[in-house]
Amino acid sequence: MASPYLENFVVDENELFSIGEAAAQIKAILKMLGIPSDVIRRASIVAYEAEMNLVIHGGGGRMELEVRPERVKISALDAGPGIPDIEKAMMEGFSTASEKIREMGFGAGMGLPNIKRNSDSLELLSEVGKGTTLRAEILVKQEREG
Amino acid sequence: MTIGELCDALQAEVVSAGDETQKIEGVIVGDLLSHVLGSARENQAWVTIQTHLNVAAVAVLKELPLILLASNRRPQEELAAKCREENVALAVSPLPAYELCLRLGALGIGDVRGS
Repeated sequence: MASPYLENFVVDENELFSIGEAAAQIKAILKMLGIPSDVIRRASIVAYEAEMNLVIHGGGGRMELEVRPERVKISALDAGPGIPDIEKAMMEGFSTASEKIREMGFGAGMGLPNIKRNSDSLELLSEVGKGTTLRAEILVKQEREG
Repeated sequence: MTIGELCDALQAEVVSAGDETQKIEGVIVGDLLSHVLGSARENQAWVTIQTHLNVAAVAVLKELPLILLASNRRPQEELAAKCREENVALAVSPLPAYELCLRLGALGIGDVRGS
């Protein structure tokens, strides 16, 4: 992999019942590229949660996958309402999701904490009324123990 | 124990057969998708009362080959269709989640944490 592998995915806001398509594609690409399975596992969680946030909160948006030998980078960009208080949004259990969304088993305030836990670095930029950009990196450890 | 044997032993109503010969290695129970996404391990059976299409997406992503709907919850048609398409087993049990898990434990589907 001399140059990074890049891929873009459009996530429609009406995808409420089919969230996970971009995440599934990302997982398939990482498998195809021979990325270690523990990295794929973590990247899949990050991708699914980010996709879920785009649909539930962002009014849809775009996801980007960038793969280099040393790391996987997943970005989610939307032009939605933005996050007024990022610190609060990062807290486990805090959610602004509607009752309908919660009944479906979403919106338990676990999404961003899940993303943070499964990535090595996380950048979350948001402006109220303008939108949100999330960038998460998962490092590929070159030397395997054992 | 394989999916086929498990569904037989539980007398669960099979909606999507999946790969009946696939072995089940533990169980995850949960209705919060983020929780399952964060905690499930490959080849576990997933006990839930969620019946919508996103259940299939999480199962596929986490490589959970069997979804067991507890408390006689009926899957939405989109979920049933997606499970058939993705070759994920989907079965309905009249037992509530806790009793269903007791049965799974009695059948020897134990916790495989750390293995």
